[in-house]
Amino acid sequence: MPENKTDLKETTREEMAYEPYTIAMGPQHPATHGVLKLDLELDGETILDCKPTVGFLHRGVEKLAENMSYAQTLPLTDRLDYIASMANNVAYSIAVEKLLGIEVPLRAKYIRTIVMEMARLTGHLLWLATHALDIGAMTVFLYCFRERENLLDMFEEICGARLTTSYTCIGGVRQDVTGHFLESLYSFTEDFPSKIAEYETLIDKNRIWLKRTQGVGVVSAEDAVSLGLTGPTLRGSGVEYDVRKHMPYDAYPYVDFEVPVGSKGDVYDRYRCRMEEMHQSNSIIRQCIEALPKGPIRAPDAPDLVMPYARQKRVVADATFASGVIKLMEDTEHFIEGDVYVSAEVPKGELGFYFVSDGRGVPYRMHIRSPSYIHIGALPFLCKGQMVADVIAIIGSVDVVLGECDR
Amino acid sequence: MKIKYDTKKRLVEQIFLLEILKGLKLTLKRLFSKPVTVQYPKEKKPLFPGFRGRHALIRDPKTKAAKCVACMRCATVCPSRCIRIRFSKDDETGARKLESYEIDALRCIFCGYCEEVCPVNAVVLTEEYEYSDYTRDPFHFDMERLLKNWDDFLEKKKMEPEKYLNPYLRPRGLPVGELPVGKRVEVPEEWTMEGQVIWKDGKAVSAKEADC
Repeated sequence: MPENKTDLKETTREEMAYEPYTIAMGPQHPATHGVLKLDLELDGETILDCKPTVGFLHRGVEKLAENMSYAQTLPLTDRLDYIASMANNVAYSIAVEKLLGIEVPLRAKYIRTIVMEMARLTGHLLWLATHALDIGAMTVFLYCFRERENLLDMFEEICGARLTTSYTCIGGVRQDVTGHFLESLYSFTEDFPSKIAEYETLIDKNRIWLKRTQGVGVVSAEDAVSLGLTGPTLRGSGVEYDVRKHMPYDAYPYVDFEVPVGSKGDVYDRYRCRMEEMHQSNSIIRQCIEALPKGPIRAPDAPDLVMPYARQKRVVADATFASGVIKLMEDTEHFIEGDVYVSAEVPKGELGFYFVSDGRGVPYRMHIRSPSYIHIGALPFLCKGQMVADVIAIIGSVDVVLGECDR
Repeated sequence: MKIKYDTKKRLVEQIFLLEILKGLKLTLKRLFSKPVTVQYPKEKKPLFPGFRGRHALIRDPKTKAAKCVACMRCATVCPSRCIRIRFSKDDETGARKLESYEIDALRCIFCGYCEEVCPVNAVVLTEEYEYSDYTRDPFHFDMERLLKNWDDFLEKKKMEPEKYLNPYLRPRGLPVGELPVGKRVEVPEEWTMEGQVIWKDGKAVSAKEADC
């Protein structure tokens, strides 16, 4: 302890000269894409350390799921990655179907693949818009939202909501698609490559864009794998891993597409990866529309939306109802014991659902492996040694959504 | 697939800022094209049938009351548990009589499960979305309020109550046999299992047409 006031002043001043300066970035910073807080330790403008704080958007989805039937949890998955909720719906349904042993009809598989790729487009368009805006390109933001709006309108047509879609159900989809939807989506896919070319004209060779992205946030292939990165963030480093290719689900085995990988692993390569993925998604949608078969949209053994579960009072139907209702409600043979992990490729990376079921009709435990949470864990590695301004570019390039991270 | 790109610039490009001029040309072209924005309070985008908006109880044209038979399916399936129903039982016939039906719209997450599971098409999410208010009270819908929502909606749409159709009242692409009697309403050919659309020669056609 210093003995008098002057001593105290002396020591603190001395320490200030050598101690790193700490700054809290977020949780209300507009470029952190939500409520992410980063405690940055700085030496001048160079980052010595970065400590992410998450949990500001925690809603307890995993715990809520333990008190709800499987069908009731599905609308909650809209609120995970809220900019591409269709993809979450599909991933969740696949997981529950594997647990209950339900085989989805082919038409439903194709429809799901279409909506999943549409979700990937909406996700990537919003990513490009905000990422470009963070770095300083305003026009791209406006152009991306123009196309995203068209896709959201199509979501509204098939399920009645633009963002909180809840479109799939366990064993298929809730509604069939319409002819108008198919036609408008097909004409959208015809125009879309020219729109991507527009975005590329604006930023692809722009010298400011290149200065801000090339050589920033470099992660090698080995590091990317050991950090647990997935999705375009991993593929930017040159690792060819895609759940759609390696563990195909829905209609992905029937369509022809390629997995774009980068080489350098910097922000620019991740940007190129996502742009190329948009082209691939576009082609997948076209192939699925052209090959869309006819047939049922829900599996015959799919459980009813009103899934009875052990803790819940069973509802007895009146004699005035059709016999069909009673039959579905009595059908409790689906609830098997066991655990299952199923993952799907969502715009952010690999979204996995892990269920432990004890046969009560509600999950004993549901765990969500959300890519954003793991990507935020990689931020300290990516940010170390970079400048403060580059943190924004790095957060943008790993593409995190805090709704999914905190869940 | 390895992505190939070339970001090196030639000397001409470096000196004359060609890539920036290209971008400016694109944005300048936009200046002379039609705007894509919609001036919201003045113009409104048309909604598709099945939009999940404000709740309503469909008024039966014959009895002028709600169609609900108090089967509790909607209250059971509701993920946010925002529906509250009370009913009494007739001792002689055993039939249920609806006493109150309440929806707390502030709790509702608009998933549309209630209207999908309703066996008699009593509850519906209408295409009304402009109902913001300053207090909480107006969002607690009791039975009178829900029936009034339905009347308001019909008045706004200028539509006969019998003609209203919503894909959640009769889900598209489901076989009629799987539906309860109350949901077997008449729908366009395209919505039925038989009239499903597929893609043929660059056009969406019904599967029936494509076969022949």
